[in-house]
Amino acid sequence: MNLPNYEFLSAPLWLVTILHLVTLMLHFAAMNFLFGGLIIVIHAGLRKRWDDPTLLKFVRLFPAAMAATVTLGVAPLLFLQMTYPRPVYAAAIVSGWFWLGVIGAVIVAYYALYWSALRGERTGKVCLSGLLLALAGVVYVSFVYSSVFSMAERPALIQQLYAQDQSGRVLNPATGDYLLRWLHMVLGAVTVGGFFVGMLGRNEPVAYKTGKAYFVGGMALASVAGIAYLMSLQPILARLMQTRASWVLLVAILLSLGSLHFFFKKNFCASGTMLLVSMLGMVYTRHIVRLLRLGDQFRPDAYRIAPQWGPFALFLVCFVIMLALVAYMLRLFFGAKRAA
Amino acid sequence: MNYPFWDVPIGYGLLMAVIAVVHVFVSHFAIGGGLFLVVTEQRARKTGDQPMLEFLAKLSKFFALTTLVFGALTGVGIWFIIGLLNPTATEALIHNYVWGWAIEWTFFVIEITAALLYYYGWQRLTPAAHLAIGWIYFAAAWLSLVIINGIITFMLTPGQWLVNGEFWTGFFNPTYWPSLVMRTGVCIMLAGLYALLVAARYEAGDFKKRLVREMTTWGLLGLVITAAAQAWYWGAIPATITTKAMQIMPIPMQALRSTVWLAAAIAVLLVIARAVARRLPVVVAGVLMLTGLAWFGEFEMFREALRKPYVITGYIYGNGVEVALTDRYKKEGYAAQIVYKTGDEGTDLFLHSCRSCHTIDGYHALKPAFDGTDRKFITAIVRGAHLLKGNMPPFLGTPAEADKIASYIYARIDQRPLAEICRAEGIDLGPRAYAVRCGCCHMLGTSHDKSKSFAGQSADDLGTMLDNSAALGDGMPDYTGPTEERAALVAYLQTLGKQVKK
Repeated sequence: MNLPNYEFLSAPLWLVTILHLVTLMLHFAAMNFLFGGLIIVIHAGLRKRWDDPTLLKFVRLFPAAMAATVTLGVAPLLFLQMTYPRPVYAAAIVSGWFWLGVIGAVIVAYYALYWSALRGERTGKVCLSGLLLALAGVVYVSFVYSSVFSMAERPALIQQLYAQDQSGRVLNPATGDYLLRWLHMVLGAVTVGGFFVGMLGRNEPVAYKTGKAYFVGGMALASVAGIAYLMSLQPILARLMQTRASWVLLVAILLSLGSLHFFFKKNFCASGTMLLVSMLGMVYTRHIVRLLRLGDQFRPDAYRIAPQWGPFALFLVCFVIMLALVAYMLRLFFGAKRAA
Repeated sequence: MNYPFWDVPIGYGLLMAVIAVVHVFVSHFAIGGGLFLVVTEQRARKTGDQPMLEFLAKLSKFFALTTLVFGALTGVGIWFIIGLLNPTATEALIHNYVWGWAIEWTFFVIEITAALLYYYGWQRLTPAAHLAIGWIYFAAAWLSLVIINGIITFMLTPGQWLVNGEFWTGFFNPTYWPSLVMRTGVCIMLAGLYALLVAARYEAGDFKKRLVREMTTWGLLGLVITAAAQAWYWGAIPATITTKAMQIMPIPMQALRSTVWLAAAIAVLLVIARAVARRLPVVVAGVLMLTGLAWFGEFEMFREALRKPYVITGYIYGNGVEVALTDRYKKEGYAAQIVYKTGDEGTDLFLHSCRSCHTIDGYHALKPAFDGTDRKFITAIVRGAHLLKGNMPPFLGTPAEADKIASYIYARIDQRPLAEICRAEGIDLGPRAYAVRCGCCHMLGTSHDKSKSFAGQSADDLGTMLDNSAALGDGMPDYTGPTEERAALVAYLQTLGKQVKK
């Protein structure tokens, strides 16, 4: 039967890859704000290190940060599924219940954040239990994502796990593949959270100092975890170092250090930009690791390219309108605040 | 068959319905509610209606907590669940419509940003700025429906896309416009129903009366648009689908009838709410919400079930079998295409052929249908699955594979003779034997009912017909059961024949 063949990419692979990496970076920025911010606020709250108004300021922002994390997470997942559907869905199916549980966990975390924010506004106090619940949800999601996406790099492992259990109750047992990566990501989130705490509290010495401590400490620990993760990539490490990713990673590390430098100078614009670009470098390195691990088991470049330029152009137009409208609305909102 | 199979005890249809129905119920409110908020705010600002503005601020909190969290997340949930339940169809949809989804994502970002700022902006923004953000919200929310509607309707009526594979051909498919109008009507109706739930909690009085009258107007207006567009939608579905549905698909037709009754119930309840507007009890508003949810559930059930045997009409069957690969399946069999294997071929074949709709003894159970039968009969049923009631996908594998599936099922059913099972359970053997052996195709009272042909036939004639029924064609299997059951079945066929005579 001569039916249309769906095994194609509707844009060149390089273009889809760029879209995937850029949107993933944006998702990580929002997620790190939320995840790192939650850890810092809970830690500070437990130790009574901050006065309540500073905590509340952050807590009020969490629901919006969750909205941004979810919204910005949709696009990279879409592009990932477009390019790597077979390994990604296969891994998700083997961990089906955990994968589906992500939705429940995010809903619980999201409502817990709203609850904390609304209660904070009403009582003027931080609702620690709500934040802990939200953190538990976020930790669950991050862990399941790490498990599933690292499993997706090893189709042979998926086949082996599926042969043993078809009920979707299996997490990736190859923890060596992703525990250090997950830890690096969590510590990276603390780093970014520290940056935002320092930036938001730039006029409050205690808050800035706290943010600085988390920024510096988080980056140091994330670096250790990152290096340990790189070392754990032994079978492909040599090949990774022969790719462009090694240079990109080097630049990303330098940019991270540069962002520290500007943070100390309280130039948050430069510091934040460097942090964001360094995150893009990490995301790119992560992408190359995936390609190396998959090897010949799944090659996205084997897809036939059949561009749909018309719909793509419409997407670009809508994307520009989106940027313009979001900027316009934010200007209306924050401009009004200044006027008030 | 490029994917593993998620073997869960819950039926796939049920799992999908739980997430999808809840999502559409909230997401359509997210659109209609946005329109309601901004239109009502605009009017209230013009007239300086302060109580109404206070009500809208309260409603917007409920709106934000419902749509931003639950609506948005269950939407992502649908995406997650379709990838688990039918990854092949999801892969096909993503490859064909990735830019559609990407465009929808841009509207989603605008929508979420606008909803947050609208909710937080009641005290902070100027009236003009607040209204501007409200209108932006509604436009983005409705445009996201404009996009996703193209993909949803494509799945039922891909039209000429099956010939040319063009993005826009599939997008603007035969049911696109009626579905868009109908869903817009639903959005307006749900705006009224949700807002009524908030208004019902107000104390009895003139203001409450005004609120309820306003909202019931929205509800009724939405309902009228929905009802008219639903008729248009039905007419736009190709006759090949609707005719078959009316002949052999009781589930979508029952669901369609239910939507009509439930729509009538919503209309009556809205009229009642209008009549007791001053003191509308929360329970009436609650019942209205539940009726609205039931209406949407039935409509989605109708739409999904109508697609059978396909998940994408003419392209991919409900069990993930691809129409384009028919020749390959017939030549090489299913097993050769299955990438992720359990180690047992019978299990693999059952999972990929049957399990997405049937469990052995749970949802759409096979055990009650096959208890007391034999392997030959089950094999024949597997091979002729497309001829059975319910419009099932055809089995395209090899005869040996059909036999392996039959062995898998046979090993899990009650293998005692049907006569023995019926004696133990105290049921008549004849009707039961008919239901098991014949009723899968020849449902009594339908166009496939053959009772007339039994009239005046002797027991010997009917027995001979049963023994040689394969010769009648159309995928009929020969009778392969024990003699006691055969005798009871013959006697029952004679009874049916006599009833026709009368």
